[in-house]
Amino acid sequence: MLDVRHLNKRFGSLAVTQDVNLSVARGERRLILGPNGAGKTTLFNLLVGELASDSGEIHLDGERVDRLGVDARARLGLARSYQKNNLFDALSVAENLALAVTAARGLSSNPWRDTHRDASVQEDVERVAAQVGLEARLHHTVSDTAYGERRQLEVGMALASGPKLLMMDEPTSGVGPAMIDGFRQLLQSLPTDLTILIVEHDMDFALDLADRITVLNYGEVVFEGTPSEARESALVREIYLGADDA
Amino acid sequence: MFHQTALKSVTLVILLLGLGAYVQTGGYYGRELVIEACILAMLALSVDVVAGYGGMISMCHGALLGAAAYAFAAMTALLGWPPSLSFVIAIVASTLLATAIGAVSSRTQGIFFIMATLAFGQMVYVMIFDAPMLGGDDGMAGVKRLNLDLVGINFKKSAPFAFACIALLALSYGLAALMLRSGFGRTLSGVKANEDRLRALGVRVWWVKARAFGFSGLLAGIAGVMAAQHTQFVSPELLLWTLSGEALVVVILGGLGTLVGPLVGAIALVFVKHEISSVTHYWHLFIGIALILTVLAGGRGLYGQFEYVVTRARRRRAKDHA
Amino acid sequence: MSDTGFWIVQTLNGVQLSLLYFLLSVGLTVIFGLMHFVNLAHGALYALGAYVSVTVSAVLGYWGGFLLAPVAVAVVGIGLYLLLIRRLRHADHMNQVLVTFGLIFVFTDLFRIGWGDIDLGLEPPTLFSGQSTVFGVVYPTYRLFVIALGLVIMAALALVLTRTQIGAMIRAGVDNEDMAACLGIDVDRVFFGVFCMGCALAGLAGVVAAPVFSVTPAMGDSVLIPALIVVVIGGLGSLRGAVVGSFLVGFIQTFGAVIAPQLAAMITYALLAAVLILRPAGLFPARS
Repeated sequence: MLDVRHLNKRFGSLAVTQDVNLSVARGERRLILGPNGAGKTTLFNLLVGELASDSGEIHLDGERVDRLGVDARARLGLARSYQKNNLFDALSVAENLALAVTAARGLSSNPWRDTHRDASVQEDVERVAAQVGLEARLHHTVSDTAYGERRQLEVGMALASGPKLLMMDEPTSGVGPAMIDGFRQLLQSLPTDLTILIVEHDMDFALDLADRITVLNYGEVVFEGTPSEARESALVREIYLGADDA
Repeated sequence: MFHQTALKSVTLVILLLGLGAYVQTGGYYGRELVIEACILAMLALSVDVVAGYGGMISMCHGALLGAAAYAFAAMTALLGWPPSLSFVIAIVASTLLATAIGAVSSRTQGIFFIMATLAFGQMVYVMIFDAPMLGGDDGMAGVKRLNLDLVGINFKKSAPFAFACIALLALSYGLAALMLRSGFGRTLSGVKANEDRLRALGVRVWWVKARAFGFSGLLAGIAGVMAAQHTQFVSPELLLWTLSGEALVVVILGGLGTLVGPLVGAIALVFVKHEISSVTHYWHLFIGIALILTVLAGGRGLYGQFEYVVTRARRRRAKDHA
Repeated sequence: MSDTGFWIVQTLNGVQLSLLYFLLSVGLTVIFGLMHFVNLAHGALYALGAYVSVTVSAVLGYWGGFLLAPVAVAVVGIGLYLLLIRRLRHADHMNQVLVTFGLIFVFTDLFRIGWGDIDLGLEPPTLFSGQSTVFGVVYPTYRLFVIALGLVIMAALALVLTRTQIGAMIRAGVDNEDMAACLGIDVDRVFFGVFCMGCALAGLAGVVAAPVFSVTPAMGDSVLIPALIVVVIGGLGSLRGAVVGSFLVGFIQTFGAVIAPQLAAMITYALLAAVLILRPAGLFPARS
């Protein structure tokens, strides 16, 4: 469903994405690994359109999307969560999710329907809140919630927009083991036809869940294979796992 | 995000009833003040929709008001068209103009947005100022008022006209409140808070901004048509950027992003100005100082501060009970 | 007057207006670029310079006003800085716009109270009072002095910005405030100095403009918009941008007024809108 061909991006003389090819099938859970600065977040930014690529193509369900704007790609079903929380801090959890649901249902341009009293919108809001474990915090202002809860909401926002391809940028960064467990359960509970791209540092968490793994280093794809192949690979061990062992 | 709270409803009703009562008791001069206050309040309301809820500080709302006023004046005084038809066309015109300005300016942010709206507003000003047909510097007289004889209302008298202004102000508020609590209005609030995130959720941000600006132009257009009918005369001063600035000042003094605040600000300004001007010619001095102090004091404005104090007290009481 | 003579006079008028805009906008653009501060009261400071020079020159003659007015405006600027602007440096642009818009109201009424609501005039100094012949046309000597003064200040500012330690500090501050602070530059002191200089230049513009235009409470309003346009077209914080922007606006206004009066003002605003939308950083962005 996602096809990336010969994608390149440079910042001045620094190549941050070099000839990246990536093919992800529907329902696949793909893990993107790589040391800091390997270009994982840059790849996400290129995929959703927050950065423009220098060359190469991105296809989503056979449609070329790399010249489309961020919003147009989102409407085609690309959704992402951010490594650094990117939320509406002055609004409540419910209001945040409602904005995402409103956009997904095409109500963002409806000047009559009160989305806060709309049963179907609220139903979606509550469903997503329950999925990410925030059902008890719906009416708290985001700036009053704990850091971990904002990480949950970050994933919730992406889910609430009803994606075909869900891209999660280090959902577990900075949260405790109990919450990591929660994320694992969440990922396992998601529909099997939802395609997921995940950048993650927590190896145990990630290797468990992934169908396939892509390893980036200096902006290049240096390995692609199954989790067990990744564990076997000397190269992967050297540039990533090796660093962990040391 | 907008909520039509009980506090807002009560304040709104008191303001409208107060204006109505003053029409009955204030004599001719009082009615003039009410009309002036209502027109300024409608303009301020339209500014608050984009500035307070959409984060778009506009310096062209004077021009939007003026464009509608001139369109109405030209159709009734030059072309002899019926005022009712002219009313509708003038408002549609200011709505379209505002949508276009909003669409183009939506590419810019912050101070650049302010400058872009200033540029477009001044372009409208210059265009009208330089059109000899529209009277240039001298303006244009002979603007007609609506003819409501059919429903038994003599619109040439000041009392019915003042009541109509109050009714249109109430209507404008109602439309704005309805819009702000819709999916569109809530998305607009989201644009103000974090427009990049909304884009990532699939929202066409520029189109949201353009439509909000267009809606605001509709409200400014109503104010403009009423202004033209009020004095039955239009002059280029209506379009000056300083009028846009004054509308913004009214919004700030009353309470940005509160929707009721602009009404409070406009009514306070018109009546205080009237009081001060009988003592001194230098009322701008007082407005300027009030504006500076308001911003330095946290920028909540009259109604905004009131709402803040009441909500805080209520929250504290709720906490004590719990 | 011959046809060529007419165009030479218009060109001189254009240069003179452009340099006046330059004096006004250079302070505005550096304050804008360096401090991210939008000072709508800059036009009022220009008017203040004109008013002070009218009063002072009545006692000390033109040159007394010429010297004292920029100083007086800088002192008022310092007062504003300490009282208001320092607090608003990190506020959002809207609050800066509002407070300085409020200052326009206050200044305008203070001018009315202090000097009355009438047009005042200022005689040019006797040294430059007559007419001179340049390029074969007769032209007021005082306006030639304005042109010369503008060019001298432009050259001096260019030298200071490109060749001196202070200039390097200012450029560093415009480019990247945090980095400049890391390099041990006392950014706040540089800001303060630049702000005072900008105010003094606005005051100076007021003095030199007073004999050419009449002195009125609203004279600041009429130059504020062109000065803002110059700043945005040129690029915030860019000296070269201020020069090019001033000449663009000054020449469009001067030649527009004689060739196509209907279009002149329109072209200026259309230019502003086009730059904002196509090149939001201005024609000569100061920041890399």
